Amino acid sequence: MALYKLNINGKIKSVEADSDMPLLWVLRDLMGLTGSKYGCGVGSCGACTVLKDGQEARSCQLPVSELGSAKIVTIEGLSADGNHPLQKAWVEHDVPQCGFCQVGQIMGAAALMKQHPVPTDAQIDEAMDGHICRCGTYQRIKEAIHMAAKAGAR
Amino acid sequence: MSELTRRSFLQVIGAGSAAFVLGCTFDTKTGSKPTETEPLGPGFVANAFVEIESNGTVRITASKSDMGQGVRTAFAVLIAEELDADWSKVVVVQAQADSKKYGGQGVGGSQTIMSMNQRLREFGGSARMMLVAAAAKTWGVDPSTCRTENGKVFHDATKKSLDYGKLAEVASTMPVPTGEVKLKSPSEFKLIGKRNKRVDNKDVVTGKAKYGLDISVEGMVFAAISRRPSLGASVKSFDDKATRKVEGVLDVIQMSSGVAVIGKNTWAALKGRKALVVEWEEPNKSANTKAIRAGLLEAVGDHKEMPAGSKVVNATYDFPFLAHATMEPMNAVADVRDDSATIWTPTQQADGAQNQVMRALNLPADKVVVNVTLIGGGFGRRLSNDYVAEAVQISKQIKKPVKLIWSRDDDMKNDNYRPMSHHALRGAVKDGKALAWSHQFIKAGRGARKASNFGNADIAYAIDDAGMAQGAGQSPVPTGAWRSVDHSQSTVANEVFMNELAIAAGVDPVAFRKSHLRNQRLIKVLELAVEKSNWSKPLPAGWGRGVACFQGYGSFAAHVVEVSVKDKKIKVERVICAVDCGQAINVSGVEAQMQGACIDGISTALKSEITVTNGQIDQTSYTDFEWCTMAEAPKIEVHLIQGGDRPGGMGEVGYPGVPAAVANAVHNATGQPVRAFPIRLS
Repeated sequence: MALYKLNINGKIKSVEADSDMPLLWVLRDLMGLTGSKYGCGVGSCGACTVLKDGQEARSCQLPVSELGSAKIVTIEGLSADGNHPLQKAWVEHDVPQCGFCQVGQIMGAAALMKQHPVPTDAQIDEAMDGHICRCGTYQRIKEAIHMAAKAGAR
Repeated sequence: MSELTRRSFLQVIGAGSAAFVLGCTFDTKTGSKPTETEPLGPGFVANAFVEIESNGTVRITASKSDMGQGVRTAFAVLIAEELDADWSKVVVVQAQADSKKYGGQGVGGSQTIMSMNQRLREFGGSARMMLVAAAAKTWGVDPSTCRTENGKVFHDATKKSLDYGKLAEVASTMPVPTGEVKLKSPSEFKLIGKRNKRVDNKDVVTGKAKYGLDISVEGMVFAAISRRPSLGASVKSFDDKATRKVEGVLDVIQMSSGVAVIGKNTWAALKGRKALVVEWEEPNKSANTKAIRAGLLEAVGDHKEMPAGSKVVNATYDFPFLAHATMEPMNAVADVRDDSATIWTPTQQADGAQNQVMRALNLPADKVVVNVTLIGGGFGRRLSNDYVAEAVQISKQIKKPVKLIWSRDDDMKNDNYRPMSHHALRGAVKDGKALAWSHQFIKAGRGARKASNFGNADIAYAIDDAGMAQGAGQSPVPTGAWRSVDHSQSTVANEVFMNELAIAAGVDPVAFRKSHLRNQRLIKVLELAVEKSNWSKPLPAGWGRGVACFQGYGSFAAHVVEVSVKDKKIKVERVICAVDCGQAINVSGVEAQMQGACIDGISTALKSEITVTNGQIDQTSYTDFEWCTMAEAPKIEVHLIQGGDRPGGMGEVGYPGVPAAVANAVHNATGQPVRAFPIRLS
């Protein structure tokens, strides 16, 4: 066990954790931030996706000891009150079915749009490739990303 | 339900309300508004499903679980419609398990809307009548001179109006209507049959929605179970020395399903489990997919004789075991005390879970509370509450509240799988028509039933002397219901075979189907899908087009699929669906179910299968139980016919046509018939 100072959603938080505990469990079990989901634990589904220094990262694959001063953004920090253009577009296009993967999908889309503010279908396909939606909401996800791009998500 | 039963039901449930609020209430004006659980103010408890608070909030209780099929939204729509509620003031709360109060709470077989539609509308209408009576009493006017709209009662002659919230107290004193509850005609609908957004959207997109895995209770510890290395294995002995040295590990206990490691957090439990050394008794080490299939072939019986002078067509089709692979792995939180138990879990069988816990702990119903969380996917998997039983066993033994988490690998290897099956079909054609049809449906798996209510209805086609015989082959693989149940095999086989008969008869597959179909609603959806697909338009080289149709669960669907085949690689390029579900409750939900079923159909037609080697399930995660990704998902067009007064089921009707139409399209593209799923070109 060691003490780590983590930059989560713009705030420095101290947490005592086992050095190899993945960020996902630090967030969920130690900090009570349950928005990031556990789907597979091996980086194969995308449900645990967060932003690490603005880049998409699978929090189940990030040991807490390797985070250093990296800036982590989770769904809880994406917007103050759920008004990020992606979140609004997701609601507008009625994307979720079971909804379990959607936080990861939104965080993946947020990372994509930092790179490509107005992504093409091909760029969306490529960027979202590692995000499984078992309910099959892909079409609406794609529509929502295009809508958010029009609204100027960054 | 009969009028008498319905009346007494309305009266019996008139008092008391104990809904568990997930913190997932919503505000329809802004999409939804996550709030903490609010205390119930003095209000009007109209019945078990409808409660109106003095501030005007309308609380609608969903007695059925939402696993993504949208029942929480559908409940709100049905009740709010007849209540004339202000949609922006509607919140949905999830019922605890209580089948005496709510009736059966299981969700499966696409039954929820079919079974609840009428009753929910009556509950909404009954509450509305009590509010009208309250207003009439307040104003001293005849109730028949009042009307309701958008959360208010109006008396137009005197230009008076009162909000439902203001009427709540008086309405509580009004008798529950015993006569017929007059329901709206479809032309009066404001919500039913329109596009309504899912009530939990805002909570989902902000990460505030609570699934089973997100539940946290005071003093809770975490558990993971070291599970069987092969099917049917049991623990012989175990060594937990290394486990107990792992930071955060609190305890290790033996279970019927393995050895549970209890930790201060999930990671400690998982890490401790990894350090466990378990010796297993393994009775099925020799089981493998090939041997199970050989057993199926042995169980195939004789086909009946085909009419003399006809052209006889033979085909066989093989289907693999399939996992449910819900995004949220199995889990449950259990807090077992000496004289009570409280459970929080994502389950498709809330009342079933309660009964199971009551039996396990020998407790009465009022001492077993089952809270149903949002569910990260079901597809039939959560009809079994095996994970609830495990959490209860652990909590009872360690005397603490515990969250049991299944890892993805646990989930993949310990499912109740869609059975593997082998289908032998024989048919006869003459003069462009099918004359006879024989289908041998052989299923594998422990618990595979020879007969089922979900999948062996008569085929959709008027073919004299059509029949299906069922058999089962030996296998240690546990099986269960998977989206569309037996239809995921029987109907898919039928629809691929129908195509082969059409080709043998030298008739276009659409025309061939139409000349044998009996049901006008099915014919109409077929015609619509075909029309929207430009069926006769030539496709690019290497492409193929296929069609399939299906009636079941009270609804009708047809699919046209276009595929391209390049270097033995199949890509689904376009799917056109037409569906008639009778009265749609939520058009957006109907389309979502069709789109989702398409992705299931494409995934299972081309990619997914569960196999067995040395007695163990080979697959571990989405890396080897592959699912369709966004790049592989085609454009899906959904065309809706609301062809009846009553709603049909939507959870399953969209599935069977898809793998069949994909197979028929592949046949069309390659000239080679498909004989096995997932389809692999060699």
